[in-house]
Amino acid sequence: MIKPLLLGLVLYVILSNVAKIESDIPYQLVLLPALFPWSWFQTSTIMAAPAIANNGNLIKKVHFPRYVLPFSTVANNMVHFLLTIPIILIFILASGRQPNFTWLIGIPLLMLVQLLLLLGTVLFVSAIDVYFRDLEHLLDVFLTLMFYMTPILYPLSALGKYKDVARLNPMAVLVEAWRNLFVHNELPSLVDLWPCLAVTAAAVLIGSFVFGRLEKGFADVL
Amino acid sequence: MFSDETVICLEGISKRYYLRSQRPGDIKTTVLHLPSFLFPDRNRKAFWALDDVSFTVKRGESLGIVGPNGSGKSTLLKIMADLARPTQGKIDVRGRISALLELGAGFHPQITGRENAILNAVLLGLSRRETEEVLPHIIAFSELGDFIDEPMRTYSSGMYIRLGFSVAVHVHADVLLVDEVLAVGDAEFQQKCFDHIEKLRAKGVTIILVSHDLGSVTRFCERAILLHHGQVQMEGKSQPVVHEYLSRIAAVLGHAVSS
Repeated sequence: MIKPLLLGLVLYVILSNVAKIESDIPYQLVLLPALFPWSWFQTSTIMAAPAIANNGNLIKKVHFPRYVLPFSTVANNMVHFLLTIPIILIFILASGRQPNFTWLIGIPLLMLVQLLLLLGTVLFVSAIDVYFRDLEHLLDVFLTLMFYMTPILYPLSALGKYKDVARLNPMAVLVEAWRNLFVHNELPSLVDLWPCLAVTAAAVLIGSFVFGRLEKGFADVL
Repeated sequence: MFSDETVICLEGISKRYYLRSQRPGDIKTTVLHLPSFLFPDRNRKAFWALDDVSFTVKRGESLGIVGPNGSGKSTLLKIMADLARPTQGKIDVRGRISALLELGAGFHPQITGRENAILNAVLLGLSRRETEEVLPHIIAFSELGDFIDEPMRTYSSGMYIRLGFSVAVHVHADVLLVDEVLAVGDAEFQQKCFDHIEKLRAKGVTIILVSHDLGSVTRFCERAILLHHGQVQMEGKSQPVVHEYLSRIAAVLGHAVSS
């Protein structure tokens, strides 16, 4: 939890003073409501990848549902994310904005979508990582690139003509929806959300299929 | 085939492992050795850890599995515990299996014995409430006293096995698999374990014991199986099976001495 806070602080200081990013809202409101949900996604995925591979001893000796291991990283980081919501709230209130009832619908809704996306993703990466251990490094590179391609440091509108391409990235859609919810009290519309919902559904299906197939060999490979 | 009393039924179970399979293990090597990844069969050699093993175990029975190292005993237990899948054959298990395959499997060294006991019980399939109910019994049985709230990295191997065993016998299993782990406890604790297992068996729990301590196999198990090279060489009352195993050892030793 300390990581997103410090990262947020550093990014805020640099990007609002050194390299100024234009936006119609105060920069901390561009950054923080997007950075914290992203942290949940990135940290869970990074931590989940070796969750099975690093617990060979447990896998080989104790019988329990294997998906517990990757899922626990998602749950763990979800709690961290929940704890950062009050911080977002403080910044929203400090900027003179009032949260309203849309938060009560929007937060559970977006959390559910992001949770499903994550569950599918971690099933996939944790199962593959058992067979290809260097997936962890590739994932690290991939997520760093994805961090810059997702509208976290800048609003989605800043992408101009690349906006529609960016929306193929489910986290771009989610992060923008989180920001609109926290800053503008806007609920995501189905029109905005559907590319993300499609990817989420695919992630859950592919993730559980791959995990189900590969799980049989975990004990033999580890 | 499956009578009401049968809890475990194995039919033609075989397990194949590959020797020198050179499975790459990461993406880089896979890409660099793509042909051998796509056509792996040339240089790998199959090893059958289990070869067409069939038997059934009835409720409340105690079965001993004996055999030399590498005969497939542990693989067999793993398959019964659903930790590994057989390459061929069919296995049917009715009820919950509690496996004690290794000293302190699943214990985390940094957290306390009490926390590990809870974690282990939940991993073995108890609900939170059931765990809270049996926890005092687990702790009492382990006789760890105040050490239960110390981190497990401070435990001796005897303390490890005490806690591991205490959890395994308290999770209301229908089948208890024990692999060679009792040897670590002191004589008094071993006796206590055997007494407790006997009590469980009277309640209808099935016990499967893998051991090189042939004395306890004859004393404790009514039936036994002799494994060798992954095959069941003999099955029957434990006394004659152990006798057969001993005479094979004697034959090998005698041969070694005479030559």
